[in-house]
Amino acid sequence: MHLKPEEIRELLREVYDPELGVNIVDLGLVYEIRNDDGDVYIRMTLTTPGCPLHDTITRAVERLLEGQPGIRSVKVDIVWNPPWSPDKMSEEAKRQLGFFG
Amino acid sequence: MFRLPFLFIATGLALFGLFNLATLLQASGWILQPPRSPSGWLFAHWLILGWATMIAMGAVYQLISVVLQRDVFSRRLGYVQFGVYFAGVLGLLTGFGFFRVQWIALFAVLALLGILLFVLNIGLTILQAARWNPITLSSATALLYLLLTGLAGFLMGINFAFGLWPEWHDPLFFSHIWMGTVGWFGLLITGFSYKMLPMFYLAHGISDRLPRIIAWLWNAAVLAGVVLFLAGFPAFGFGLSLGLLTLAVYAYNFYITKVRKARHKKNPGGGIRASVYSARALAVICSAALALMLIAPDLAKDERFIVIFAWAYLWGWVAMTILGYLSKIVPFLWWTHKYGPRAGKEKTPTMGDLLDDRQAAFVLAGVGLCLLAVMVGLGMEMAVWTRWSLGALSLFSLYYAFLIARVFAR
Repeated sequence: MHLKPEEIRELLREVYDPELGVNIVDLGLVYEIRNDDGDVYIRMTLTTPGCPLHDTITRAVERLLEGQPGIRSVKVDIVWNPPWSPDKMSEEAKRQLGFFG
Repeated sequence: MFRLPFLFIATGLALFGLFNLATLLQASGWILQPPRSPSGWLFAHWLILGWATMIAMGAVYQLISVVLQRDVFSRRLGYVQFGVYFAGVLGLLTGFGFFRVQWIALFAVLALLGILLFVLNIGLTILQAARWNPITLSSATALLYLLLTGLAGFLMGINFAFGLWPEWHDPLFFSHIWMGTVGWFGLLITGFSYKMLPMFYLAHGISDRLPRIIAWLWNAAVLAGVVLFLAGFPAFGFGLSLGLLTLAVYAYNFYITKVRKARHKKNPGGGIRASVYSARALAVICSAALALMLIAPDLAKDERFIVIFAWAYLWGWVAMTILGYLSKIVPFLWWTHKYGPRAGKEKTPTMGDLLDDRQAAFVLAGVGLCLLAVMVGLGMEMAVWTRWSLGALSLFSLYYAFLIARVFAR
């Protein structure tokens, strides 16, 4: 029984940007999720290149998913193209940040 | 990377606490001494080398990978540099405290060596990164001025001990102060702010053009001052470089406004807001100082006027910005060390949970008000008022240092 990408996306709401206090899914950082028979591939970005939380967030995603049933391996690919922009955030994230863009 | 920045930041915080404690214990008496006296030298170097530069070095070690997207050239060299610099600063402060010229000379060399090792380590990191933008340009020139400040101070010490070039004492002294305050601190703060402010405000799409102009203007202000001080025109040098600095400060404030307009995070935190307000205040102070000097050019030689301006710049902007940024730097440093490895496994606090932001903002407002009172006291030559104001400033500063240090217990 393998987790579907949308189920993995829900799980990823447990990973927060600790500075902003918003989870990475609502921030719009997760671009692609694949699960090939237990080998999970995540393509995601960060709010800014050289983000000081690069390793922390990457490892948090790996740790969270490695403990899930049916997941054999996790590969997190940080990409800068397309670059993150504020319009990728969910309404909930915008509300939490007091967004007025 | 936790231990190396932690060493610098914890030491800087401890020295800041001791500085304020010493001020309280001697009932703020040092502020009424002439600035060019052993007591003035002791407290000035305590604050600038022991606290501000120590914290700045720690912050650079912590943030260099964020700014340049590569690790520091050598962590091991960083530890050696910490030991050499810390020993040099402690010895130098002791030398000033007991006014032992030999100690001052010996430990000034050690402190200078510590600065040299820092410049080497960070300079090589910048060169390896080979990313020339306003951040690296500002940081590289800040490092250069730090080194030249140390060298000028060292030459002054030699001159003081052996009386080799008495006519060069004042030009070196003015250059030493200008390069240290405007060059090192000014360019480091503005340079790192081009990365930090957009990050904390979550502002995107800010062009590099304005920061580039600010970096050149700021450098022009430093160089104009130093060249004219060394050429023997201190009053003209101060006036011209203050004019250029005022332009640079206005441009920097315009940049902050652009960042705030592009923000997507309403509240960047009380510390960051305090640093923004202090930049606004610096524009007012520079404008006022420039206007006064245009009306009365002799003010450029007036010690009281220069001391008040130095307080406004160093405490009002440099120290306020460092204090404000500490409210972000320390929680980040501690969170990544303690909670980073647990993220994804268990529920962790946010960085905002590690520091009471409202309390920090309130204490920083207290620091600002007390500083204003100190400056009024200095301006009106009210000794008792000045001492009480400085005492209150030290109490607020101590409490702020406690708030920041308490993060390490969360």
